[in-house]
Amino acid sequence: MTHHTDFHDTRILRTTGLSIFVDNGEIHEISESFHQGAASRALVGGSWALVTSDNPDDADKILDFAVTLAGRTHLKSPRANIELASVEPSVVHDLPKVEKDPGDISIEEKVGLLLEIHKRARLPDITSTSVIYSESHSKVEYFNSEGIETEYNLVRTGFAVNAVASQNGNFQIGRESRFGVCGYELFDRYDALMLAEKAGNTARDLLSAKVPKGGRMPVILDQELSGVFIHEAVGHAVEADHVIEGNSILADKFGSQIAAPCVTVIDDPSMHGFGYYPVDDEGVESRPTTLIKDGVLTSYLHSRETAAQIPGTGLPGHARSQGLSRPIIRMSNTFVENGDSNFEEMLGEMQDGIYLTGSRGGQVNPGEGVFQFNAERGFMVTNGELAAPLRDVSLSGHILDILMHVKLAASDKKMNSGQCGKGGQMAPVSDGSPHILISEATVGGSG
Amino acid sequence: MSDINVIYKWAEKAQKAAQQAGADEVEVFGLSSRSIHVDIQLDKIDLARETHTRGLGIKAIVGGAIGFSSTNMPLYIENAARAAVSSAKVRANDPEWSGLARGSTYKKVARIFDPRIASIDIDTCIDLSTSMIEGAVSVEAVIPTTGKFTCSSSDYLILNTSGVEVKEKTTRINGYMECRSGEGNGLANAYEFDISRNLDIDYYHIGEEAARQAAASVNGVGIETCETEVLLKPSAIADILESTLLSSLSADNVQKGRSALLGKLGGQLTVEGLDIVDDGMLEGGIGSARSDDEGTPSRKNHIIKNGELCTYLYDTYTAGKAGVDSTGNASRNSYAQTTSIDIRNMKLEFPPSDVIAETSKGVLVGSVIGAHTANPISGDFSVEARNSFIIKDGEITSPIKSMMVTGNVFQLLQNINGAGSDVKVLGNIITPTIKVSGLKVVG
Repeated sequence: MTHHTDFHDTRILRTTGLSIFVDNGEIHEISESFHQGAASRALVGGSWALVTSDNPDDADKILDFAVTLAGRTHLKSPRANIELASVEPSVVHDLPKVEKDPGDISIEEKVGLLLEIHKRARLPDITSTSVIYSESHSKVEYFNSEGIETEYNLVRTGFAVNAVASQNGNFQIGRESRFGVCGYELFDRYDALMLAEKAGNTARDLLSAKVPKGGRMPVILDQELSGVFIHEAVGHAVEADHVIEGNSILADKFGSQIAAPCVTVIDDPSMHGFGYYPVDDEGVESRPTTLIKDGVLTSYLHSRETAAQIPGTGLPGHARSQGLSRPIIRMSNTFVENGDSNFEEMLGEMQDGIYLTGSRGGQVNPGEGVFQFNAERGFMVTNGELAAPLRDVSLSGHILDILMHVKLAASDKKMNSGQCGKGGQMAPVSDGSPHILISEATVGGSG
Repeated sequence: MSDINVIYKWAEKAQKAAQQAGADEVEVFGLSSRSIHVDIQLDKIDLARETHTRGLGIKAIVGGAIGFSSTNMPLYIENAARAAVSSAKVRANDPEWSGLARGSTYKKVARIFDPRIASIDIDTCIDLSTSMIEGAVSVEAVIPTTGKFTCSSSDYLILNTSGVEVKEKTTRINGYMECRSGEGNGLANAYEFDISRNLDIDYYHIGEEAARQAAASVNGVGIETCETEVLLKPSAIADILESTLLSSLSADNVQKGRSALLGKLGGQLTVEGLDIVDDGMLEGGIGSARSDDEGTPSRKNHIIKNGELCTYLYDTYTAGKAGVDSTGNASRNSYAQTTSIDIRNMKLEFPPSDVIAETSKGVLVGSVIGAHTANPISGDFSVEARNSFIIKDGEITSPIKSMMVTGNVFQLLQNINGAGSDVKVLGNIITPTIKVSGLKVVG
């Protein structure tokens, strides 16, 4: 190597995947993929470079190029030297065991199951369904200039079913999905046919649901929606890159009370949820990080660079990348810990308000501390009882405002799998929570 | 051998292997591309990245049933082709299948390839990125937070057994800058971006505009929940339309009963005076090329003409099913994905006027977050507005701290009562500010 470098690392990826898309009971598409590639990263002073190639045999060549590119950037646009937090050599252990390798199951059998799922979702009023199945097998190799080397294989399997109900120009959607770091035994863990029927029923129920009147009111969030809330509103704001950019409402709140005492939030990449990884994309072994403990902000999510930049605010191990992209700070499996309340107690406590369930996704502006997300459905709550069903209910507000207004957390935590987008990269994640009661929130609705 | 010639050899190999494995028809999409990215953190360049991508997407058809595979491994091409054929064989014959796109003559689209981008060096990319930072720091009391510079140059080809042989070269360049201003509860951030096929972007302006927007948005005030005139700036209206209208325009969704536009062809869908045109031949357009991604010649389609819904968007398959011509809207995000129906360059046109001066009471919305959570079939949406301002007596006054905008896209299209002259290219959507009456804002 002709140039000086302060640090460099290389990742080699090999992935195969299969996806099947059944649309209205017909196989719309079966798609297989076979990919490989390598990415090398080099640091010179305060400048990073990343070079990728489709050919893992080019690893030496792209590393040389990355060093040149980082050197060139450093020369032309220097910035303060970057230190990286030191880490122990990582050990890959406790990998999820694949009980049924999806590769051993014929495509015909998979298609047969998806057609069954379609049939079960096709209830009266359901005019359209789609079912998606996907499996992937990836092999990840990592090595860096400090001698850290690691390698692992991971299988991901999952499915999603969508049902559309329509009546007189009113269209409503019900969705269910399950994805995991596991093989075909996913279908032993979850009753896909029952979930299909549930998606169909949700869509049907929404046909007659009312649109709520927007305004400020108390709300109860179910496990799925509360999980999305915690992911959007807390998770993104504790990502240390946002903190360093001054783009997080939690930037000056380390160690302070930012939520009600009943709120404890953890991000745990070592848990066998959909966001699992044994080591992150900087070769750091995964472990749980407690972000909020009894309402106090106790850690940010870090890469090696940010952990050294704001020391004492958490450990590295949260850098992830989509494919050969640049590793950036990401969540994994993020959840609110169980409290000691229960759903009935919450209804009684709330008396009048809205119960929101399921999620159609959300988004956050961590700098201004504003978030927005949509529930799949909801119910009016009157005198402590569930009343009229609602649709197109959304929730927005200020992160700190909502966190401080959490009044009760139940003890019925559940996790849900999804994909999270940041900086143009997607990452598999899961998030979860028990039911939570919030004493005041902004509900959007056009009713 | 140049990269595209290597890809051509790969594609021929894939086609042959698929035919030998029993495919009736084969389509191969092959791509070779190079891209450079520069990441900005605060006011410094953080990372430079160069990526080379080559790969094939193989569509094999057996009895009208489609199988698809993709690979970037040269030694795996024949296996991938055979995998596509076995996938196609799993499916029963499709009687609605009317064949792949047929070979045709194609017209070259001007200004979609800029050799200066194809041969750009890292120093130039760093200079342009630096110019964006300089623009951002030129505004007082503003701090740049993150930014991105990206440019890419692609050579691709589409070959099929029905005589399509399309070769195309395109380039693309863009810049994105995000800034913040103010403190604590008064903090505001804003972003600006620009995209082009050619090396003609004003990077300084991107940084400066992001900074100006952030500075103007600090210390926002609350707003009462009400129905009011809402002026949606290009980025806001484009985001809403993308998540609420586009899927309804797809003939695939219409044919499968999940489009609110089913049965509405020829009817008055929007306010009179509104035209929505989708043009795959637009000079310099981000979605322009001589053909769509199946090899159907690109063309210009009037989706809405003076308020009337004139057509859905078709690919070869859905057009065959409906007995019409493909509108040239088969699109793919990468070689590793098969085609689906999407817009090319969709332009909103409405008689322009000074929409802010004409508004006695209303709000101006800079951009929105959460548009992807809308109901893509019913068109109902509820989004959080960003960089928004109260308009009073024709003037922009206080910034708004937090506000949701809720409504339904089909009602929105009927309630358009003005458009600005600030036409902006937001990737595949081109639009000015759109003024809508009677939208609900929730404070």
